Amino acid sequence: MIETTAAIRIQGLSKDYGAGRGLFDLDLEVAAGEVFGYLGPNGAGKSTTIRLLMALIRPTGGRAEIFGLDCQAQDVEVKRKVGYVPGELPAFGGLRGREIIAYLAGMGGGVDEGYVKRLADRLQLDLSQRFREYSSGNKQKLLNVLALMHRPELLILDEPTTGLDPLNQQEFYALVREAREAGATVFLSSHILSEVEHICDRVGIIRAGRLIKVASLEELHRIRTHRVEIEFAGEPPLARIRDAAGVEDVVAEGRRVHCVLRGSFEGLMAALEGARVLNLTSHEPTLEETFLEYYAAC
Amino acid sequence: MLRYAFRLHRWGMLGFGLTAALSTYAQGAAFLKLAGSTPAERAAFVKGVTSLSKQLLYLLPAPTHVDTLAGYVLWRSWGTLPIIVAVWAVASAGGAVRGDEEKLLVDAWLAAAVSRTRLLLTRFAAFGLAAAVVAAAAGLGTLAGAAGVEAIALQRVAGQALALWLFTLAAFAVAYLVAQVPGSIRGAQGAAAGVLLAAYLVNALGRSVDAMASGAWVSPFHWYEVTDVLAPGGHLDTAGCLLSTGLLLAGGGLAVLAFRRRDLRRGLFARPAVPRVRDLPPSPALRRPVARELYRQRWMVATWALATVVFAAFMVAIGRGAVDSMVSIPALRAVLTRGGADPYRAWVDVEWFSIAQLLLAGLAIHMVSAWAADDHEGVLTAELSRPRRRWGIVLERAAAAVVAMALVAACGTLAAWATSEAAGISLDPAGAVRATWLLVPFGLSFAAIGAVASVWWPRAAVGALGIIVFLSYLLSELGPILGWPDWVLNLSAFQLYGTPALSGVSWSGLWTMLVIVLAGFGASAALMERREVAA
Repeated sequence: MIETTAAIRIQGLSKDYGAGRGLFDLDLEVAAGEVFGYLGPNGAGKSTTIRLLMALIRPTGGRAEIFGLDCQAQDVEVKRKVGYVPGELPAFGGLRGREIIAYLAGMGGGVDEGYVKRLADRLQLDLSQRFREYSSGNKQKLLNVLALMHRPELLILDEPTTGLDPLNQQEFYALVREAREAGATVFLSSHILSEVEHICDRVGIIRAGRLIKVASLEELHRIRTHRVEIEFAGEPPLARIRDAAGVEDVVAEGRRVHCVLRGSFEGLMAALEGARVLNLTSHEPTLEETFLEYYAAC
Repeated sequence: MLRYAFRLHRWGMLGFGLTAALSTYAQGAAFLKLAGSTPAERAAFVKGVTSLSKQLLYLLPAPTHVDTLAGYVLWRSWGTLPIIVAVWAVASAGGAVRGDEEKLLVDAWLAAAVSRTRLLLTRFAAFGLAAAVVAAAAGLGTLAGAAGVEAIALQRVAGQALALWLFTLAAFAVAYLVAQVPGSIRGAQGAAAGVLLAAYLVNALGRSVDAMASGAWVSPFHWYEVTDVLAPGGHLDTAGCLLSTGLLLAGGGLAVLAFRRRDLRRGLFARPAVPRVRDLPPSPALRRPVARELYRQRWMVATWALATVVFAAFMVAIGRGAVDSMVSIPALRAVLTRGGADPYRAWVDVEWFSIAQLLLAGLAIHMVSAWAADDHEGVLTAELSRPRRRWGIVLERAAAAVVAMALVAACGTLAAWATSEAAGISLDPAGAVRATWLLVPFGLSFAAIGAVASVWWPRAAVGALGIIVFLSYLLSELGPILGWPDWVLNLSAFQLYGTPALSGVSWSGLWTMLVIVLAGFGASAALMERREVAA
């Protein structure tokens, strides 16, 4: 018998689509009140995990529980506690935003209309528009409102900021933080490293259907790399740059220096002290390029 | 691009091609058995068909040379093909115009430097190829059905197929043009279906009412019908073919202009959005089981109710003229006045409720298409993210179907009743009520089969149900003529329904329909519990 203290507890969960695709032997636990980031590139198995938690698809092995309830056998009870943002936009056609909310709210109850209005206002979403007239960003906002509207105990969010502009992304992160402060647990899938850094306590990294690491935020910072390009007015301080903490793969091209920076910028900035920097650009590599390479040997 | 556009039509082409081939083949293959081989049998057959044709004038053109297989197949099968291909044209044009836009395919093509004109012409050409295959399939079915019975010159078959092809393209052009106006695929298909339905009714009125005969020339259905080259002594009507060609060119050209003028995913005459002065609260129906499903499908149900009202009024309005010409034939007079019945009432009881059956079957297909769309458009996923029992979704769909079908059936009967009163035809209230409520289990039988298909294989559900409805109808039409046993006939819901207004409820038929309904929705609920969503 599994204990029932965690918000999410997954044991040996598998979904085999054949040809090596799917999810394999996933063991994971997310504590109540935690914001857990679920990271991985496209096709890694993030959405499959989430669809299994939501009982939209059936496992080929293992089991998952949410607040001690079996996700498959007790899915209706589970969904009373869950707010879900699917990874793909549905098509509600000519229904207005307000009508979609009424339609789905009527299926579970517990929705405070005033709260819905506040959520829509904060996300700058016009609920009187027809769904087909919404931009993709506004459609995503509506899905986010639908997930939050009944103040669920657990938020399961599958790439919830897709299509949102930076301001609305920040507002959404604020809503997630507020939900957490109110006691909710958050399970957030993403392929954007900086997104999970903003709001998560821990992250799970999945690749090719297998969980390869569960890391704390500190560990994530250590893993994180930037490709930095610096243009100097005079001779670059190459020796200082090479010696700086976290700096790797330094390449000089005349007055231009390229390097890879792992972790904080502190060391590099100290190395540049006194030098005349004309331009400094930093590029965050994709997930593949950073921690997936880092954990390639795992 | 042409290859991909053609690929988008492949299922429609396959389904409608098979339907056309089966229809022409079955009628041809059945000819010898129906018509007999001696001169006396043939004469009796011609007499019978002539009587029947007067009865079916609202549906089929007047027959020519039905003493030959070619003439009979032309009347019985090629006469109904325009209705079938018009349905396909409406579905395909709506999909090509609005469906491609909703799937963002049009965005992708335009982004790949394909001009709007080229895109539209390519879609048109792809449908033209698919329509040619369907017309050829009808021709091949005719030749196969005639093999060993009657030699039909290939040129005659080709000429008839050409007329059908031109009609199909003209219908597609009209639907393509009309589909530019509304902003959604359902609106596009509804509007196009409305325009083609009006054209069909104008032609049918022209056939049935002498005073309206010249008016039929405005209808592309008429331009097709004037070609009877398949029958001995028939001809390929140049004027009809030119008019069809002109319509397809004009419709296509105007569609290009409209497509170039409008925004993607917006109606042709869409106005800039203005802030709503009063932000109305959502309907309370949206929060209540069953009512919320009906609210979402309100336009669909309203459209079918309106179509049923129009057809009911039309059928009853042409009743007097049709019956007057039929009672001049002794055999038909005997049928219509059997047991001292009023022949006008008998017309309404039999002919109108036969059409009502087809309309209810059409509504069932439309509802199933909405259920299947919920699946692949992600609405089902959104519903299942709420605390809902999966079987509850199927139950709610079934309940909504009951209400919608009862509503549409009642609207049709009320319209038939009102038109009958105006035309001085007195209906039997008990018979009309019987025939009306029996339409509900009849329509639900198809909805239940569709419910299984929409859960099991959503993308194929509409096509599969369409084929089942067609075969069921064909069975009820051909089975009695070919003398098939009762158990085979009873595989058709049309047969199970019977003629309740005239001869009372067929209790065995009713029970069988109820078993189909319970088994269908039960199986759908069981499958829904097990299946994967958004896998």
